[in-house]
Amino acid sequence: MNPRVPTTSLAASAAVLLSLGLVGCGSGDSGDSSSASTSASATSSPATSGSGDVVALAEAFAATLDEEQAAALQQDYTFANASNWSNLPDALLTGGGGAAPGGGTPPSGAAPSGGAPSGGAPSGGAPSGGAGSASSTGRVGLQTDSLTDEQWSALEDLLAGVTGSAADEGFDEILQHLAADDYLADNGGGDDYGRGDYFIAFLGEPSDSGTWELQFGGHHLAVANTYVDGALAGATPSFRGIEPLGTVEQDGETVQPEQQEQAAFAALLGSLDDDQLAAAQLSQSYGDILLGPGNDWAFPETSEGLVGSELDDEQKALLLAAIATYVGDVDDADAETILAGYEGELDDTHVAFSGTSSVSEVGDYVRIDGPSVWIEFSLQNGIVLDGAHLHAVWRDKQSDYAGLTS
Amino acid sequence: MTATPARTPRRPLRGVRAGALGRRVAGAVLLVAVALLLSAGPASAHVVPSSVLQLDLHADRVDGDLLVPATDLATASGLPLVGQDGAGAPVDAETADAVAGYLTDNVAVTSDAGDWEVRVSDVATTTTEQYGTGTFPAVTADVVLVPPAGADVHRFELDYDAVVHQVVTADAYVVLRSDDTGAVVAGDLPASLGTVTVDTVTGTIPALQVDLTADTGGGSRAGFPEMVALGVSHVAEGTDHQLFLLTLLLPAPLLAAAGRWRATVPARRTVRRITGTTLAFTLGHSATLALGALGLPVPGRAVEAAIAVSILVAAAHAVRPLFPGREPLVAGVFGLVHGLAFAGTLSGLDLSGGELVRGLLGFNVGIELAQLAVVLLVLPPLVVLARTPAHRRLRVAAAVLTGVAATGWLLDRVGVDTPLAGAADRLGPASPWLAGLLWVTAVVVLARARTGSVPPPAPVGGHDVPLAGSAR
Repeated sequence: MNPRVPTTSLAASAAVLLSLGLVGCGSGDSGDSSSASTSASATSSPATSGSGDVVALAEAFAATLDEEQAAALQQDYTFANASNWSNLPDALLTGGGGAAPGGGTPPSGAAPSGGAPSGGAPSGGAPSGGAGSASSTGRVGLQTDSLTDEQWSALEDLLAGVTGSAADEGFDEILQHLAADDYLADNGGGDDYGRGDYFIAFLGEPSDSGTWELQFGGHHLAVANTYVDGALAGATPSFRGIEPLGTVEQDGETVQPEQQEQAAFAALLGSLDDDQLAAAQLSQSYGDILLGPGNDWAFPETSEGLVGSELDDEQKALLLAAIATYVGDVDDADAETILAGYEGELDDTHVAFSGTSSVSEVGDYVRIDGPSVWIEFSLQNGIVLDGAHLHAVWRDKQSDYAGLTS
Repeated sequence: MTATPARTPRRPLRGVRAGALGRRVAGAVLLVAVALLLSAGPASAHVVPSSVLQLDLHADRVDGDLLVPATDLATASGLPLVGQDGAGAPVDAETADAVAGYLTDNVAVTSDAGDWEVRVSDVATTTTEQYGTGTFPAVTADVVLVPPAGADVHRFELDYDAVVHQVVTADAYVVLRSDDTGAVVAGDLPASLGTVTVDTVTGTIPALQVDLTADTGGGSRAGFPEMVALGVSHVAEGTDHQLFLLTLLLPAPLLAAAGRWRATVPARRTVRRITGTTLAFTLGHSATLALGALGLPVPGRAVEAAIAVSILVAAAHAVRPLFPGREPLVAGVFGLVHGLAFAGTLSGLDLSGGELVRGLLGFNVGIELAQLAVVLLVLPPLVVLARTPAHRRLRVAAAVLTGVAATGWLLDRVGVDTPLAGAADRLGPASPWLAGLLWVTAVVVLARARTGSVPPPAPVGGHDVPLAGSAR
């Protein structure tokens, strides 16, 4: 074969120069960091409202925005947008392009047919090539760094209207979560973290007729409430993770965001006898949750672990309590309805774990897998800080994305 | 917000981003590939380290560099690869053997021809970093995948489940890093061959089906444009093809008399000569390209040596007319030789039937386009300069330089190692600059002629510029 010498034609050099230029622009964009806008943190009193008021709260928030902000807020109701959530901070989602070497083009469609890159749900076996995940474009919606105090206040009213009112759950948990991310920003995380790096989006027009989704998310957080004809038709996928997995000061109070979930799982596993524990223990290891972002509608066809009918009443109560730490994140009335549904399926709901049953070490993993409910909880290595941090997802086998599958 | 200092900052995450990637020279290539893949990948891209298998395709085997996160590998294999503190532990010979054994057991390659041989060696530990992960300890190994004798390396099933069989949330990116066979256009490398990961629905780990023949062979998927691109890149990257044609065209504007290049011929005749010679070259290489692609055996080394000879002959002809007026014939004959080299590239793709015809056509169109571009780029200034006294020096210097390069290639291709071939290869990157210099000089000459204030430039005029450029 012809010995190829690394020569370039004029055209090639032009192409290289051009693409270098493009890459330069790209990295410039991605390097743009959000200014840490101060917010009126949690000064507003949470409204206690049912889902009927959600449209009004949504409209009230939108009314505080300028034209540009409003345009960013309002997005199309599509599966591509709905499934475009992530555990990662947005900068990590969008920052990749600039790192590409000479040319900056990612492996293109000319890539061999030997299997699409993962990320699409491998449901049914055929990887769908990440159809739903908009990859490096980042989240859609309005970024919170542009919000004034008044706008933040309206946003918090809206969030309070769609989330649970119990201490450490729902709305309270989100505020703690934002405080924790501010802590990350101040302790090694830098500009890619903090409450200015969250996104609020309306997928579809908020209305009491038709379908729309309220999407709020950012690092370690995904709220996905889908309303059909004014009623909550889906509250998942709901992602909750946290780093630091410790205490954070919030408005002078010391809080421990998302620790009650960890405690609930530890209590549940701690209540099991040796035989039950053996049945619940998975043989494989988990470095993360299975059904994270991009892996939609890919529930295992076989449930593993200890089935709920083998639990006594006290253990069932602990199981339901663990489930409630996630269901309780949605507004109280809807949470009650959803939880009642899951309670009716407890006998067919499996509990499984990997690692240690103390739910405290890196590698510890817990799963609740019922006819409808799917919850995963994973402790993994810290990213910005030392020690473990957690990822957890609550999905529903029927009502994820209110049933939207593509 | 303040916080109780329960945790100490380990590192700024910013350090993980693009700027820091380049700092680790050892892992740079890997990181680039991973960054590419992860950034092009799903939004679910996570900050947990991934295994990466980078493959280099050769005619008779596939080589691979494998990197596996040490913690996952320790979990999956039970081998002592990570210390108490989670840091990587150095491996002794016994552990290295055990790792090689584990990896060999968990990598299987098969194709229609049967099972491939899998060899794992050079197990070592390192510390690296992937996009968003921070540094982590990893184990590296060399992998060699050898198909049964004579089997095609372009199509195989990679049944890889190292780590993933136990750590079900782990994944392994499989990347085609290089391809000696020409089946994948260089611009598409590195290319993703897929990701090994658990299908959460079934709990199984699907094998990766790698088929590089179907993709480049055209079929229903845009084969023709890709073949055109392959043809263009073949000429653009093959300095020897360019040099042969250009050197042969060098004396086109001149009239041979008494064994020397004398006066210039009219521009129209120059253009006709150039057209004829280029066309003859095209006919010649098209003929053997077709024959070779149809199955005529191509003696690769002999062809490459003959190509070097063809350049040498063209260079000699540029100095003193050896076959004046018969350039088209010579171009046609040597075109046959160059065509065999093109055929070598095409036959690596294993095309047949309609695919072959389409591929042949596309590849040839690409070659002609690139050739035409080179001619159009270089000939106009040459025609202009031919009317100046400097042309003689330019022609002779370029011919001598080409002759030296061709000699270097010839020696290299018959097995004599000289520094000449390497130096000749390095000429390539300078070629756009040389072309640019030619144009600038030609424009200067034209401008002077137009103003009419200056008579035809003296032999030692400003036209030393292209000479200096060429000699460099």
